[in-house]
Amino acid sequence: MNQVSVLAQNIPVESSAEAPLLEVRDFSLRRKKATVLDRITLSLNPGETLGLIGESGAGKSTLAMALIGLLRAPEVEIEGSLRFRGTELTALKEADFRRLRGNKIGLIFQDATAALNPCFTVGKQIAEPLRRHLGLSASACRARAVELMQSVGIPEPRLRLDAYPHELSGGMQQRVMIAIALACNPELLLADEPTSALDVTIQAQIMELILDRVRALNSSAIFVLHDLALGAQVCDRIAVMYAGQIVEEGPSECVLNAPLHPYTQGLKSCVVELGMPTLTPIPGQIPPLDAMPNGCRFAPRCPKAQAICGEQRPEAHTRDERQVACWFID
Amino acid sequence: MQETIFSLLDVERVYTLGATGWFHRETRQLKALDGVRLELKRGDTLALVGESGSGKSTLIRLMLGLEPASDGRVLYGQHDLAHLDAEARKRFAREVAFIYQNARGSMNPRMRIADILAEPIRLHRLCEEQAIPARVEALIARVGLPAGLLQRFPGELSGGQVRRIAIARALAAEPTVIMADESVAGLDVSVQAQVLNLLRDLCRESGITLVFITHDLGVASYLCEKIAVLYLGRIVEQGPTHDILSAPRHPYTKALLQAFPRFDAPLCASLKGEIPSPVNLPKGCRFAGRCAQVQPACLEVDPPLTLLTPERQVACLFPVVNPC
Ligand SMILES: Nc1ncnc2c1ncn2[C@@H]1O[C@H](COP(=O)(O)OP(=O)(O)O)[C@@H](O)[C@H]1O
Ligand SMILES: Nc1ncnc2c1ncn2[C@@H]1O[C@H](COP(=O)(O)OP(=O)(O)O)[C@@H](O)[C@H]1O
Ligand code: SF4
Ligand code: SF4
Ligand SMILES: [Mg+2]
Ligand SMILES: [Mg+2]
Repeated sequence: MNQVSVLAQNIPVESSAEAPLLEVRDFSLRRKKATVLDRITLSLNPGETLGLIGESGAGKSTLAMALIGLLRAPEVEIEGSLRFRGTELTALKEADFRRLRGNKIGLIFQDATAALNPCFTVGKQIAEPLRRHLGLSASACRARAVELMQSVGIPEPRLRLDAYPHELSGGMQQRVMIAIALACNPELLLADEPTSALDVTIQAQIMELILDRVRALNSSAIFVLHDLALGAQVCDRIAVMYAGQIVEEGPSECVLNAPLHPYTQGLKSCVVELGMPTLTPIPGQIPPLDAMPNGCRFAPRCPKAQAICGEQRPEAHTRDERQVACWFID
Repeated sequence: MQETIFSLLDVERVYTLGATGWFHRETRQLKALDGVRLELKRGDTLALVGESGSGKSTLIRLMLGLEPASDGRVLYGQHDLAHLDAEARKRFAREVAFIYQNARGSMNPRMRIADILAEPIRLHRLCEEQAIPARVEALIARVGLPAGLLQRFPGELSGGQVRRIAIARALAAEPTVIMADESVAGLDVSVQAQVLNLLRDLCRESGITLVFITHDLGVASYLCEKIAVLYLGRIVEQGPTHDILSAPRHPYTKALLQAFPRFDAPLCASLKGEIPSPVNLPKGCRFAGRCAQVQPACLEVDPPLTLLTPERQVACLFPVVNPC
């Protein structure tokens, strides 16, 4: 192993500054005729962090899975385009996707216990993408694994290398998963509720760690989050999803501090902040996939709904730097 | 003066862990609770907060009489929970209700909601058999759900509906005290807000005494007028919610508060490391290993919970002066 840390090397992003790293255009996904994702349009620049928020069932995880090719035809029906560094992902062969996944695109899931293999040591699991994607030798893999474990704040990495996942705490398992996700210096990191199962103290540590590593690598990240305030703290941009659609998207300080879409406003008024006098819940729930309203999908729960909302789907309007899909933005 | 409902007097709970290796046959002692003192008055709403492993669930199990204290006493009114006679035990079971952490898991999946709600009414013989359906309907209405759900099974309900049913079941015996363990954790904010409003209304309308475990300080501040912060089996700070959140005096409370995500402050990993195992508690302050303002004296002296003001107690040798 050479002396220069692989981690310290800055992997330059190939695409020029103005070309987005990821471009999702009119992307729809259907399961057995039910539209789970409906004309999603998004773009993410190199170095940007994006938060996907919205109630469960909105389609956040489905979008993340589709982005990494874990949900593809013929299992689901797909329309529209997903471009990563200019490459059309929807046209990619499974073998090519495998070269991307865990390499240029890293993954972190909510439940580390379920995501890690209980039968292999932590060291083996961190080494796997290094061997597979970078072709490192066994000894180089071990050395790099120690480095990675150190970089994600696992104390005494040399000793922990041979530990099995169950011998580590939840927070430590999450760190192992981060080490695996970052092993090949990904350009895009996808993290689906990475800290939802952890205490706030550990959540803050893990989030700080992820951001720190993402910045060091100049990578982009997509976080699926259920905590809006955490979204404000860690994301440059926020996309609010409702019933398979993006209803509002823009810089996080605009979207979260002064939401324009009635759904974002509703979500915000449900968040318990310290010393908050009242909470105003959004009435009702997301309609089932097979009974989606024709017009605006939020209409049955929307306090501002008018006749047109029940008939026509609102197109996304641009307001300042954000997109809002609503007929009536004040 | 309000009537005291629960008094915990220097309560300890020790678990004996089995042998760990082939040659080490000795057992180890895990002190999940260590010298807990707590007084709960009628109408109090108390939040127990602290990281996982701090002893919150153990404390509630002791207060419910589900487990005995290894040392110290848990008093319900004047009576030691360890020595209740059959009559008093029955009364206790009716007056003190518990909402489980895993609401769905606590329900028999093969029982209809109507029967789940009728069970405690029958058990405590609260009314005649023919009056039960009306009572069950009143219960489900009280938690804001349609009577149509009564014929369903738990598996057919959403997460939020199941939590409401768990609350309705806890209310069935018309308790005066409700204890709840993480009853809104893992819910979407929209559903969480509905359940929190329901719980808050119930406490305000019926004067129910509430002990609520949560890891979310926002939830604690919304529901409860008092907070007790636990760390490694000890209450390290307690007092009125507003005072504690606006001016935490224990460094651990301050760190929890800083780590709580908020819209108007940057991400702050205020606390290094993880909560250690309570198997080998240090000699001095149990928080010393992670404390931002540890002093040499902290490694020697175990600070007791002491009064700062008549309402406010802190277990720290050097309480925080400039809170945030
Ligand atoms: N494996 C699956 N089979 C069928 N439907 C699914 C599956 N996974 C998710 N869904 C449905 O797709 C929709 C979106 O789910 P998901 O992407 O998990 O939402 P989120 O991550 O926002 O909670 C939901 O209606 C959900 O019920
Ligand atoms: N039945 C048990 N046997 C052994 N140890 C236990 C048992 N129950 C709890 N503990 C230990 O006691 C400590 C406190 O646990 P708990 O009361 O569940 O904390 P919290 O609810 O705050 O997360 C932890 O270290 C936990 O591992
Ligand atoms: S389009 Fe109409 S129903 Fe939909 S969010 Fe806007 S106001 Fe509400
Ligand atoms: S006693 Fe010392 S170590 Fe313990 S909390 Fe106070 S300052 Fe920190
Ligand atoms: Mg999801
Ligand atoms: Mg617990």
